[in-house]
Amino acid sequence: MYWEKELETLERPALRRLQSDRLSATLERAARTPFYRERLGTCRDLSQLPFTTKADLRAGFPYGFLAVPLDEVVRLHSSSGTTGNPTVIYHTRADIASWQDLVARCMYMAGMRSTDVFQNIMGYGLFTGGLGFHYGAEKLGAMTIPVGPGNSKRQIWFMREFKTTVMHILPSYALRLAAHVRELGLDPRRDFGVRMAFVGAEPHTEETRRRIEETWNLRAFNSYGLSEMCGPGVAFECPEQAGMHIWEDRFLVEIVDPDTGAPVPDGECGELVLTTLDREATPLVRYRTRDLTRLIPEPCPCGRTHRRIDRIRGRSDDMMIINGVNIFPMQVEQTLLRIPGIGSNYLIEIHEENFMDKLHVSVELAAEAFQGTLSQLEGLHGRVLTALREETGVTPVVKLLEAGSLPAPEGKAVRVIDRRTQSGKGC
Amino acid sequence: MAWHLSVFVVNEPGKLEKITRVLSEAGLNIRALSMASTGEFGVVRVLVNDPRRGLEALRDRRFTVAMRKILVAQIDDAPGAMHGLLVTLAAARVNVEDCYGFVIEEGKKAAIVFEVEKFPEAEQALAGTGIRLLGDAEIYRL
Repeated sequence: MYWEKELETLERPALRRLQSDRLSATLERAARTPFYRERLGTCRDLSQLPFTTKADLRAGFPYGFLAVPLDEVVRLHSSSGTTGNPTVIYHTRADIASWQDLVARCMYMAGMRSTDVFQNIMGYGLFTGGLGFHYGAEKLGAMTIPVGPGNSKRQIWFMREFKTTVMHILPSYALRLAAHVRELGLDPRRDFGVRMAFVGAEPHTEETRRRIEETWNLRAFNSYGLSEMCGPGVAFECPEQAGMHIWEDRFLVEIVDPDTGAPVPDGECGELVLTTLDREATPLVRYRTRDLTRLIPEPCPCGRTHRRIDRIRGRSDDMMIINGVNIFPMQVEQTLLRIPGIGSNYLIEIHEENFMDKLHVSVELAAEAFQGTLSQLEGLHGRVLTALREETGVTPVVKLLEAGSLPAPEGKAVRVIDRRTQSGKGC
Repeated sequence: MAWHLSVFVVNEPGKLEKITRVLSEAGLNIRALSMASTGEFGVVRVLVNDPRRGLEALRDRRFTVAMRKILVAQIDDAPGAMHGLLVTLAAARVNVEDCYGFVIEEGKKAAIVFEVEKFPEAEQALAGTGIRLLGDAEIYRL
């Protein structure tokens, strides 16, 4: 039941010693990067060190956080979008191997074995979700179908022809896919042999998880990760399905008050702060994930000594997660600013339609730019849609409005309204 | 040169009514009105007796509005008259970008309002065809 029994069940004192050793090594490596060389100085006491933020990563573009010579790097992953600098994470061969191993550990913990057939219904490419699970499943030894997201007919065909037993899927898509299955006259409970689903990358409730399990007659396991750490594999559920074990041999975990940065008492909700413990190319110290959760102090009946984090309850910043894609309102704002004829005022609404998130962006026509023709309006509408799609990676619904129809931007204008029932509500 | 108004509207119930209310309150006479829409939004063309004043009245009420140049042709209110006009324009390779019409005198005279890209060419083509282009004063008096 363990991928690496010794590590996964390491007694807490020994685990703490391992962390302490690895932290020293991390700080040594970090001190070789342009960013941390200045930031760390001679300080080696973690609690005295400043946090690292996404803004720091952006400012450090492209190589400010690189701790090894470039020829030791074998891959990079990056946030999408071109607004501001993207965040880039580099990996050495050892980093990739370690990540693979970590994801394999997660999958094995949930109960996946080399005899399983694994269908990876997540995006490949710069997004870490697809490749992370892909290499983890191969490491574990399961036959992997790298089908990627979308095209429900093809998903269903692969599932039936190759008797898929494990899938990695967005929770919202798991429910939509079941609806497609029924449209084809099939029963997701009876006509398929999928026994396990890994779900993550977007906020979802316990009710949704249970619904996925009920719909497909399988067990669904929650997954947590972020590309700044490695991607998926940071924390994962064991068969107890009561919180996600966060791998403390790889990451040093802190939960802090998002406003003050002070540690919160054990078991209380706050912002997850992570320090990488074995990464070579891009070591990160006290990275503010902006994800809100709590540590579950009680030991887990599964015997693993690595603590569990609770379901992510929301974000401490304004990042939106649309069908698993991370988008900041700033990206929308800056994209609109570059389009002549469009005003600077905007409103973002996130709707849930048929288990799918839909990004609605309302923009105003600049009154003085209006030439009076429908073709001008259609052209503008199309340009806004294309520019937003290129910037964010999702296709929005764009509403072109008259100037002055949106709330005036005085003071703290509400620019984002989340109308989903399952959005994180914070601590 | 004559003008009509072009107003940007989002397709919502009551939007047209607001335009006509503003024009009516400004004491302007609406001679004709047409609308083109994509389903989500559109433009409303309004021919009024004083476009400059109409523009100001609508702008004051925060409408997004532009004035656009038009030609107004007077044709017979009879079968084939509209066709004759379009044949003439097509022969001169004048592309009609917007067009609507209304009857001036039942069974006798009708007015056709159109926007074209090539104004001088359109005017030239119609000269001497029996189709009369109305002067500005005539248009606003209609």
